[in-house]
Amino acid sequence: MSDTVTSPAGAGAGVQYSPAADFWKRLKKNKLAMVSLAFLLLLVFLALFAGMVAPYDPYEGNMPMSLKGPSADHLLGTDELGRDILSRIIYGTQISLRVGIIAVSIALMAGMFFGSVAGYYGGRIDNLIMRFMDIMLAFPSLLLAIAFMMVLGKGIENAIIAIAIVSVPEYARIVRGSVLSVKENEYVQAARTIGCNDGQIIFRHILPNVMAPLIVRSTLGISAAILETAALGFLGLGVQPPYAEWGTMLGSGRGYLFNAPHLVTFPGIAITLTVMAFNLFGDGLRDALDPRLRR
Amino acid sequence: MLSRSKFTLFTVALLIMALALAGCGGKADNKQAAEKVFVFAQGSDPRGLDPAFVDDGESANPIVNIYDTLVRYKSGSTEIEPALATEWTPSPDGKEWTFKLRQNVKFHDGTPFNADAVVYSVSRQLPPQRTDDMPYASFTFGPVQKVEKVDDYTVKFILSDPYAPFLANLAMALAAPIVSPAAVEKYGKDFIDNPVGTGPFKFAEWKKGQQIELVANKEYWGGAPKLDKLVYKFVKENSVRASELRTGAVQAMNGVDPNDVKMLEDAGVKVIKNPGMNINYLAFFSNKKPFDNPKLREAVSHAINRQNLVEFLYQGLAELPNGVLPSFMPGYDKTLAPYDYNPEKAKQLLAEAGYPNGLKTTLLTYSTVRPYNPVGGDKLAAAIQADLRKVGIEAEIKTYPWKEYKEIYTPEIVKEGDMMLYGWIGDNGDPDNFLSLLETKEIKSTLNTGKYSNKKVDELLVKGRTAQAMEERNAAYSELQKIVEKDAPWVFLSHSKDMAAYNSNVEGMDLHPTGVIFFRDVDIKK
Repeated sequence: MSDTVTSPAGAGAGVQYSPAADFWKRLKKNKLAMVSLAFLLLLVFLALFAGMVAPYDPYEGNMPMSLKGPSADHLLGTDELGRDILSRIIYGTQISLRVGIIAVSIALMAGMFFGSVAGYYGGRIDNLIMRFMDIMLAFPSLLLAIAFMMVLGKGIENAIIAIAIVSVPEYARIVRGSVLSVKENEYVQAARTIGCNDGQIIFRHILPNVMAPLIVRSTLGISAAILETAALGFLGLGVQPPYAEWGTMLGSGRGYLFNAPHLVTFPGIAITLTVMAFNLFGDGLRDALDPRLRR
Repeated sequence: MLSRSKFTLFTVALLIMALALAGCGGKADNKQAAEKVFVFAQGSDPRGLDPAFVDDGESANPIVNIYDTLVRYKSGSTEIEPALATEWTPSPDGKEWTFKLRQNVKFHDGTPFNADAVVYSVSRQLPPQRTDDMPYASFTFGPVQKVEKVDDYTVKFILSDPYAPFLANLAMALAAPIVSPAAVEKYGKDFIDNPVGTGPFKFAEWKKGQQIELVANKEYWGGAPKLDKLVYKFVKENSVRASELRTGAVQAMNGVDPNDVKMLEDAGVKVIKNPGMNINYLAFFSNKKPFDNPKLREAVSHAINRQNLVEFLYQGLAELPNGVLPSFMPGYDKTLAPYDYNPEKAKQLLAEAGYPNGLKTTLLTYSTVRPYNPVGGDKLAAAIQADLRKVGIEAEIKTYPWKEYKEIYTPEIVKEGDMMLYGWIGDNGDPDNFLSLLETKEIKSTLNTGKYSNKKVDELLVKGRTAQAMEERNAAYSELQKIVEKDAPWVFLSHSKDMAAYNSNVEGMDLHPTGVIFFRDVDIKK
């Protein structure tokens, strides 16, 4: 114990220090985050094995069974074409998670690129990029997404692109801020001294050190993306029929609000729970990753 | 001090109460003296209010209340009675019709109604003045060659051939209404937004996307209408319209969702359910691949479970068609039996047509509800998509807003898709009005949406149109419908019941078989 090399942070504790284990220990203490994580893992499982889990074909209509409430055969009832709502919600996780993750990944990469370039070089480039981002931020993101959908056309791929584009500025701003705060640090200076080029400095030395806030933001971003997909679907712009998407289900079910409320309640609950899980998990991550909250 | 503050409180409360009471009193007084405003909710804006340039039911509804026609339908039927013309006589060969016009009638802009106005209204829709954007001109006026002024109150129509539906056509809501020549000259292209007629209501204002306001024409020749103001409000959602009706925000609505009927009736709202003079159909674009292949059209016809659509999607508030014509119309042939629901047969035909592994295709639809499709184009498309899926046809749905839809299916070769959903609301109760939708010459006018063309059908249509005796016409129409049944240019989905709902304090409300509501005799009871 005494002869191991201890890092400065772990010096007082006298135990071998590992950031990952430390992070996990903190996260584990947050009950809400753990419940959310379990729920999210369940969603991932449902999305991956939808074909096996779903009791019915989500696209197979059975008109004589239309608009039936929850029963033993159809746990969450059937929709206006007699399709099983539970199966459609399960298949809906595929779309929601896919859109959430892909859109956020695209936005994250674009945001990292623009943010780090702006932050690292500063000056004119910084001004140009960030003012452009400010313009985009000036519009409500949903409105901007609808505008992009009008140009790109309907459909899931276009929804992903639209949602990705409108969330780029947030990531760019976070990255730029973090880059500004670390770029004058000694290890960056050192890297420069030993002759690293700008690309190496940015990607090898700066970005890894700004990952924490980005991870938190992306987790929250997924929930925002899922919500935006649902909104686009509700407006009839996103996923086209017959694909089951939660927002689209809400949109087509709202005509039956009075006589078959289960058409909108269950997809609504699915959206709420998923978005809440991502948010709570994101909060938990932030608490666990924030150095100021340590000890 | 305590008592003082209490006193202040008391005074303030008293003051507020007095004010509130005064407000109430004022309101009540106003209401009694107030005008009778009737708000009618429909699914969307009209395409326009110039009868020469529009072709949709949303436009027809306000148009029949702003304008008059030479002759009009009796209430509740498609029989003809005098309107702007008081009497008429056809020549023995059926090629000349002379109309005596009503005197002392004025347009809303004060100009007099006379023979010149009739000649102007009709002539602008006859060649050479007729333009391509007049969807109804050729349909309504058919073989009319010329219209002449005989004297100030007599006009003569000259036809190239005898034309059986001629008189009924002059009562139609589209193309036939008489417009003010002075106003058309004044507004030019903008007349479509500034209509001027002789009808029971005058146009006041059109807030696009919200409402159209009409005010009573107190000098109406048939007596002033009982309402002071008639407002057409546009509410896209069925359920929203229904709840506005329940709360009394609107007095009446059309496009009742079958799902809402029970809820509305339970709430004391009256629901009119008339057999509808309409057809809800799926048209194949039969002038291009892949549906130029009749086998493939047959396959799709076999794959769609129409019985289920009528029974469950429309909740029994529609009838199963056996062809183009609704069962109560002349020319209906009860021996017709279109392709039945038979998925096995459909698969087999699909294979025979060269698609053993299934077919990928595109179905075009509209996003709004239509009188012939009260659940909306998107839901109907989804139901058909689910049926087609069972036989291995994968149909991608493309949905367009109603106003854009027309531009999509208008081109002779439609690029966006292979099939489309559409429908037809009868105008005049004549079988020709339905069947000529399949005539080759109507491709140009866009009424023949599927671009179906069959010489024999064209011939039979001419025969039915020119024959004078009804039996002769019926024979032609029977033969025609048998050809159409076999060719399957359309899938006949349903004849929707005509539904409208109104609050119990409304009197004189009737839904005409042509799908419009005439407000000249409608009243609101106190």
